[in-house]
Amino acid sequence: MKINRISGFSVFLVVVCLVATLGLSGCTVKLISSYDETTDRTVTALQRKTEAHLVTLEAVEGLPECTYDNHKPFYDEAKVDISAITIRAAAIPKNEITTKETILLSNNLENFEKLHKIACLSKDQIALLRSHFNSSFTAILKLELAKRRGD
Amino acid sequence: MSLDAIKLGKDILAAFNGTLADKWPDIKEYGEAEAKKLAQTLVMIETLKVSGKINKEQAALHLEMQKNATRMVLMTIEGLGILAAEAAISSALNVVKDGVNSAVGFTLL
Repeated sequence: MKINRISGFSVFLVVVCLVATLGLSGCTVKLISSYDETTDRTVTALQRKTEAHLVTLEAVEGLPECTYDNHKPFYDEAKVDISAITIRAAAIPKNEITTKETILLSNNLENFEKLHKIACLSKDQIALLRSHFNSSFTAILKLELAKRRGD
Repeated sequence: MSLDAIKLGKDILAAFNGTLADKWPDIKEYGEAEAKKLAQTLVMIETLKVSGKINKEQAALHLEMQKNATRMVLMTIEGLGILAAEAAISSALNVVKDGVNSAVGFTLL
């Protein structure tokens, strides 16, 4: 019976260690950052902008307007947007995963620009790009929304 | 006052299992759906390269983008797992809160 029982002091020590290790506040544990509405809003806006760009590229496929020079403003604006999103994400404590994801998204926007510089994009390539970006944006937003923790 | 370690352990485990079992199906479903999409995209890249519709440089860039998208999906699954673990720990602590607070004589949890 003694083995099954532990003293209040032992429990106290174990719980104090748990409190110190996990940074408990009250009875809640926070291992990852809180939901950030600005990240949600700005990432969603960038998704819309990217999708609108893909729709435009589909519309001009095979036309002289398809060249990179005609669409440079999108890439310039997207770079500014993703930079702002990454800087904000990095400033939020316990937000390393989202920060790394936005850096990968930035890399993908750079690769998108490189592809467009090589040549006008075909419908097949646009379908691939849409798939890459849908997975990427969904990944960031799914995690951000999950951070609401049922609130 | 003393606490029953075995009973506490069982209560904590039950809370862990309940919370994780509740959250895991969503994570699994997301992972499976994304894995399917990523596999389809990979096949498309190969098809376009083999048919000559994209060159080596274009294929490499698409593959790099695909790798980055896959990394992001895996990172989100990692994050969702951390959130599930966090919820499980909180549930477990809630289960033992009253007993622990009573044992130590003040509101610790």
